[in-house]
Amino acid sequence: MDKYKDIHSSVSSKKENINDLETLESFRQEFLGKKGSISLAMKELGKLEPNERKKHAEELNIIKDAVLSFVKLKTEEINNEILDKQIKTESLDVTLSVNSSSGTIHPITQVIDEVIAIFADLDFCVAEGPEIETDYNNFTALNTSEHHPARQMHDTFYVNSETDGMQNVMRTHTSPVQIRSMLCQDPPIRLIAPGKTFRCDNDQTHTPMFHQVEGLVIDKESNMGHLKGCLEIFLKSFFETDSLNMRFRPSHFPFTEPSAEVDIGYKKKGNQLIIGEGSNWLEILGCGMVHPNVLRNVNIDPDVYQGYAFGMGIERLAMLKYGISDLRTFFENDIDWNQHYGFSPLNKPTIFGDLS
Amino acid sequence: MKFTISWLKEHLDTQKSDQELIDSLTNIGLEVEDVVNASEIFSNFIVAQVVEEKKHPNADKLKVCRVDIGSDIVDVVCGAPNVEKNMKVVYAPPGSTIPSTQMKLKASKIRGVESLGMMCSEFELGISDDHDGIIKLDDSVKVGQPYAEIAGLNDTMIEIGITPNRQDCLGVSGVARDLSAAGLGTLNKRKIKNNKGKLKSPIQIEIADNQACFAFAGRYIKNVKNIESPDWLKNKLKSIGLRPISALVDITNFVMFDMNRPLHVYDADKINEKIIVRSSQKGESFRALDDKEYHLEDGMCVIADKSKVLGLGGIMGGDETGCTPSTVNVLLESALFDPVNIAKTGRQLSILSDARYRFERGVDPNSVEAGIDLASQLIIEICGGELSETTIAGKIPIINKTISLSIERLRKRLGIDIDEKETQVILKNLGIKTTKKGDDILCEIPSWRQDIGEEADLSEEVIRIKGYESLPTLDIRSPEKVNILILNESQKRISLTKRLLASKSYNELITWSFSSSEESSFYNNLDKLKILNPISEELDVMRPSLIPNLIGAVKKNLARDHNSFSFFEIGNQFLSSNPGDQVCVACGVRAGIKQAKDWRDQENLYDIYDVKRDMIDVINHVLPQKNKLEVIKEAPSWYHPGRSGTLMLNKSIKVGFFGELNPKIVNFYKIKDRINLFEIFLDSVPFISKKSTNKSAFNQSNYQKVYRDFAFVVDSNVDGNDIVMSTLKVDQNLIKSADIFDIFTDPSLGKDKKSLAIKVTMQAQDRTLSENDIQDLCSKIISTIEKETSGTVRS
Repeated sequence: MDKYKDIHSSVSSKKENINDLETLESFRQEFLGKKGSISLAMKELGKLEPNERKKHAEELNIIKDAVLSFVKLKTEEINNEILDKQIKTESLDVTLSVNSSSGTIHPITQVIDEVIAIFADLDFCVAEGPEIETDYNNFTALNTSEHHPARQMHDTFYVNSETDGMQNVMRTHTSPVQIRSMLCQDPPIRLIAPGKTFRCDNDQTHTPMFHQVEGLVIDKESNMGHLKGCLEIFLKSFFETDSLNMRFRPSHFPFTEPSAEVDIGYKKKGNQLIIGEGSNWLEILGCGMVHPNVLRNVNIDPDVYQGYAFGMGIERLAMLKYGISDLRTFFENDIDWNQHYGFSPLNKPTIFGDLS
Repeated sequence: MKFTISWLKEHLDTQKSDQELIDSLTNIGLEVEDVVNASEIFSNFIVAQVVEEKKHPNADKLKVCRVDIGSDIVDVVCGAPNVEKNMKVVYAPPGSTIPSTQMKLKASKIRGVESLGMMCSEFELGISDDHDGIIKLDDSVKVGQPYAEIAGLNDTMIEIGITPNRQDCLGVSGVARDLSAAGLGTLNKRKIKNNKGKLKSPIQIEIADNQACFAFAGRYIKNVKNIESPDWLKNKLKSIGLRPISALVDITNFVMFDMNRPLHVYDADKINEKIIVRSSQKGESFRALDDKEYHLEDGMCVIADKSKVLGLGGIMGGDETGCTPSTVNVLLESALFDPVNIAKTGRQLSILSDARYRFERGVDPNSVEAGIDLASQLIIEICGGELSETTIAGKIPIINKTISLSIERLRKRLGIDIDEKETQVILKNLGIKTTKKGDDILCEIPSWRQDIGEEADLSEEVIRIKGYESLPTLDIRSPEKVNILILNESQKRISLTKRLLASKSYNELITWSFSSSEESSFYNNLDKLKILNPISEELDVMRPSLIPNLIGAVKKNLARDHNSFSFFEIGNQFLSSNPGDQVCVACGVRAGIKQAKDWRDQENLYDIYDVKRDMIDVINHVLPQKNKLEVIKEAPSWYHPGRSGTLMLNKSIKVGFFGELNPKIVNFYKIKDRINLFEIFLDSVPFISKKSTNKSAFNQSNYQKVYRDFAFVVDSNVDGNDIVMSTLKVDQNLIKSADIFDIFTDPSLGKDKKSLAIKVTMQAQDRTLSENDIQDLCSKIISTIEKETSGTVRS
């Protein structure tokens, strides 16, 4: 032990005044570097007798380990001091505003997605058709012959092309999708068809383009009670209410028989409409049992198959649910409006998540 | 269709309250659109008498009247030319609301003279358009009497919406019939005297073209006086908003609204010899009762005499043969026309009339004779005269329609439990005669219900009267799935793209599917895209591109002082106006300020690389492709030729365009900003199934990556991507990536030269690259680029 006494006391004395990483490193070099005193002593060991060597080696290693663990601890200590100092002195003004811009989904898209989510859960698929239609698909196949008075109520836009001698039209409703779908698919059928529709009308409560969603169910059993059940689930889910006053009222559409219009109850609370409750009625959609002539027109036997159809306006649903008061604003493309009524892109309606 | 409760009760014996009747109408499909209680509206209006009138001291055209209102005598300033002493008038005291203007009266000074209340014209009371003078009441009325009482307005007016199938309810009697079927009372059939008439009609009737006119009944009436109608008749018409004209005309209108039977009455002395119902010939014309000249096409059904067209059958009579106060002899017409011909003619000539409205929906054939009998009875009573017998040309069709109804199918369609007895009662109350045949019920459809054509129609009748509230609410969920997929591939692409773009700070817009031909002409030939009856000149074609409407949105918001625009729309653009000739496009526009100057950043504008990145993000997230996508330096004419490109798949499919909108188009809109945009054809690329996008095994190199930077001086027209591609091709195994990190031009580089610096990443899969490997690669890269670009490496 005596042999290494000098080294030991040198270590003890020198480690006292170390306060930075550089001094620590030279301290380490002094003992453990290539020419450090411990390293040199280690080299000397080889010259000794085996017995001696073992004893000396043990002694020397004790000193070496002490140096190593000191260096390790001291390094940590100094680093901590440096970081503490850094943390203490650094600061940024976190109140400064950052530039965060967000895009929006149009309320029409959002409401269509909500409608799809609800009907997807009821096993409906989504069908589509073109915005320009043949007169046949838009009217005749839907049991609305050329001179049917119902045609005049449609304010149809005509375009400069013909099919089978009849001027093509901009579809006045989504109902021609029924025809297209039934022609290419056998029952059972359960679909909804959201899309753009057009009527030559432009005032406070009409825009020349608007959106509808059509529903169609054809199988062997579906009756008017199912239609009522279907619409009740839909309206309750859409308006997110358990209590919903709903009224079926006889009406007329050439392509359904019997036909009905559906009203929902509402009441006014201040300026707000409360949907579902109350004794005032609000017309919300048209529906009925698919007319046998429509089925005949798509080669489905009305003695075997039956079903129901419904159609409603997307804008109206959006206005009622989200308190939008003016129909025309949907298509005015005012950024401020879109930012106000638009939806976050991550807010995709699902049944398992939130609908709205 | 308007009527009053008292008019309804002439046809319906009922103890039900007004409210019960109103609720029932809606419940049986005759939707109540308006209820106006006249006695409430006119509750303040009373009869008054002018006791003195003198000129207004300060106004030439005004008079100051002393008016006796029963309880008092007041001063009223009046501007009506017909005001005179002792005249009995309708007086509205201060506090009352004038129906036509909704103006609330208050005591006021008119040109310095105190005026209390108002003497009213028909216009002000909302009973006609006549505002030439104030109403002069009959001398027999008493001062102070409520006006509503003497005008017979002590009644409730109901307006119902009639769906196109329910022509039978376009008369008050039909409404009563439907209500009685629903159990609201007993139908009261109007008693019509069967007055045969002794005269022989001097006017022959001939149907030359019976395609459009099935039957024409005519009755000559001699020596009538076409006086003003009696009050009961005038009030009836006024109560439903019609203006009384003269007894003869009023009687025909009354019969039309009472029993849904359009009639026409001719001044018989103006008919040249006989009535001929025939097809019109192109070039013929006539002046109708609405005082307009109509030019006819071939094949319209006209009522003519030997020399001229008298009127359009079932639509509108002619001015020349119309009745006037001096009319003495008349011919009354009650005819039956083909609905299709009426609809077609009405549409061609754009004539709307109550007669057309009824005939094109189908009028009860059995009303031909009943209608002419009721009208001639009223004419004799009111106008006097002598009746001829009724002459009928053509044949009144006998409707004999029987439909078989199965109770089982009825239950199956409606989902209700209804028995045969209940069904038969409902049908019987609707006037449908029923007989049993086997398990079915044979239903004989009455002549007034031409809309009932098959069993399904009967199911509506049954549930309509039973009440829609009796429908059950059934569960539609079934254990067997009908659909495997909810959305198809292109619907998914649209949905994902919308939400991706919105998450990249774009606002989704929805614009018209049409646009202006002026703005659209930049994008395609518009010959095949015209709308024949556009809503306005600005929306006269189907849009050949989504761009014009989006630029319109930019312009509009610029005007509202916005300066940063990120808009997108996903919708169809049209190749032609044939159904289905449409393409789904995602179009995004970015313009103006991308980064406003703030405490951290300088102002930064959007450029084409922003939209290029957005487009590529859409492709990567929504339309991932295994095959090669590349940008080529070409784009359609609406792009800036030097600042645009096309994204190609496999060198053959155009996936989309991006770039700056052609400055010439931007200039057209007088917009100063540069407009950057992309168009992605979402359906252009093939659908990659989930299976084929399965990932290959993960294989990462554990050996060190080496980075080397190179700078080349090349001609300024050399494309950066060419240098990147050439670099990568030097060794596809060892060179992992090559990215341009700096581009600059400087006179020191030489004319039309630029410096382009790339960072190359090298890595081997199986070893650490040696100094030699690296040197070797570097020299290959330099020689390749120098050779291919005629550039030089900068040292």
